[in-house]
Amino acid sequence: MSLIESIRFITPEIILLAGAIIILMFSLFVSNKNVLGVFALSAIVAASLYLPQSQKVEPVLFFNMLTNDSFSLFFKEIILFITGIIILISIGYEELKEKYIGEFFFLLLNGAIAMLLAVSSNNLLMIYLSIEMLSLISYILVAFLKNNTLSSEAALKYFLFGALSTGIMLYGISLVYGLFGTTDLAMISKAVSAGQINNLVSLILLVLILAGLCFKCSLVPFHMWAPDVYQGAPTAVTAFLSVGPKAVGFAVLLRIFSNNFFHLYINWVTLVMLISIFTMTIGNVIAISQTNIKRMLAYSSIAQAGYMLIGFVVGTAGGIEGVLYYIFAYTLMNLGAFGCVILVSNYLKSDAIEDYAGLYKKDPVTSFMLSIFLLSLTGVPPLAGFWGKFLVFNAAIQSKFILLAVVGVINSIVAAYYYMRIIKFMYLEEPKAKEIGPKSVPLQIALAIVTAGVLIAGLYVTPFLNWVKYSQSFF
Amino acid sequence: MVIQDYGIVGLFLVLGIAFAAAAFIVSWLLRPRDPNPVKNSTYECGEIVKGDSRVQFNVGYYLVALMFVIFDIEVLFLVPWIVIFRELGVVSYIEMMIFVAILVVGLIYAWKKGVFEWQ
Repeated sequence: MSLIESIRFITPEIILLAGAIIILMFSLFVSNKNVLGVFALSAIVAASLYLPQSQKVEPVLFFNMLTNDSFSLFFKEIILFITGIIILISIGYEELKEKYIGEFFFLLLNGAIAMLLAVSSNNLLMIYLSIEMLSLISYILVAFLKNNTLSSEAALKYFLFGALSTGIMLYGISLVYGLFGTTDLAMISKAVSAGQINNLVSLILLVLILAGLCFKCSLVPFHMWAPDVYQGAPTAVTAFLSVGPKAVGFAVLLRIFSNNFFHLYINWVTLVMLISIFTMTIGNVIAISQTNIKRMLAYSSIAQAGYMLIGFVVGTAGGIEGVLYYIFAYTLMNLGAFGCVILVSNYLKSDAIEDYAGLYKKDPVTSFMLSIFLLSLTGVPPLAGFWGKFLVFNAAIQSKFILLAVVGVINSIVAAYYYMRIIKFMYLEEPKAKEIGPKSVPLQIALAIVTAGVLIAGLYVTPFLNWVKYSQSFF
Repeated sequence: MVIQDYGIVGLFLVLGIAFAAAAFIVSWLLRPRDPNPVKNSTYECGEIVKGDSRVQFNVGYYLVALMFVIFDIEVLFLVPWIVIFRELGVVSYIEMMIFVAILVVGLIYAWKKGVFEWQ
């Protein structure tokens, strides 16, 4: 397919870019949160209306740099949903000042473009470029509260860790090029199944690429940045970071490893299994002792990535369906949890868990929604999080990864303690004397959407399972 | 893998380090030792030293440098395009106009934010 014909398939990206530029220009003259937010939202809606359909015969786009398979479409839908919810959340986030709101939405929309490109990349160079674009935007977004020292510190830490891990991944990619003479994933796949590759070199390059992607998904040896960054960043950005780059990281991980390097004759599965076990355990154990809710959710999101990795280790169709469903459920419940944290911090001016004491008496609706999200993160049926856990554990048991499933279940029980602790604070403790202020309408709309999503995806699961099954069918 | 080839590289590395070290050691042994305050001060093209070299720059310099890069890149892409414009046809014209339009947006943004007002 020629270049001009390929352009049709990146219509969503073009719409988002045009929207971002118009917002940037518009913000020079008008800096009203609601006006710019609604504009950004309409760009997202327009982009999702123009998402290309998946085709019977996969088109070769831009010299096979991009692809348009059902797998990338699944992630594109999730990414546009995430960005839309984040825009609604940030309209209602009082810490974001109106002066720079145009730049904020500009960066957010560009982040969405980077993520859309990353999940549909079919070439290691394209993957690298789009992940790098996403990282640069994330660093700026983390530092968005310029006068807040925590925010600047978080951005600096994130930048230093990010630069290092990108360098490591790039080195791995250069080894791939040295070994196969190409960065095209389809060609690499062919060369791998033909065999005759030096095992030592391929082990090194797998570990290097894995390291770079582990950073994006905050998996265990590369998770140290997450708590500090999540705590220091503006909470709307934290919500974005905890779902967006993580979903992209998993998409790229699945595409590179499950699709291409699966037949390499080295045991990378054991390595990833260890990463999964450590990620779950360390995330959950450290989360228990946290007193700041953003920090606790950071450790919880590390642990959640560990559960997702179980499905990736299993690698069967069932396992990958589990990962995809888990990412979908995790997106809903984590966005919801951070949305509630913003709503509460808008009037409490605090993120300490003790300050949630007795929230139920003052704000029953938010307490109820936050409880739903926390229960879903725990994995209580019939909420979305339960089905995510059920699918990955089930896949692990069916493929005889009993150890993984056992560790996962034990960890879910450990996690129940710190999730329930917040619910206990909200419902059973005596309230402190603080009045609740007016609640932002866009934020409440976002929370309503996400709550409905968690309930529907939990209670009426069949269409979502079919969606996931169809999305993984390209493997 | 031919290990002898790396042997030559290794020999070159060792000799290179040895040569540099030898030059320093020999000159340290041979030179007269007669220090005075002028000799010990930092050499600044024969000028008298004016303070520390670690000074703060006005951030405005960087903004202007970034603006320069916008135009620099623009020229870098425009010149080869103009040279073969006749063969490329109307599609390349549209593409180039989009490119220039995006750069102009950046310029307007910087202008409006006061990058060109030197304080």
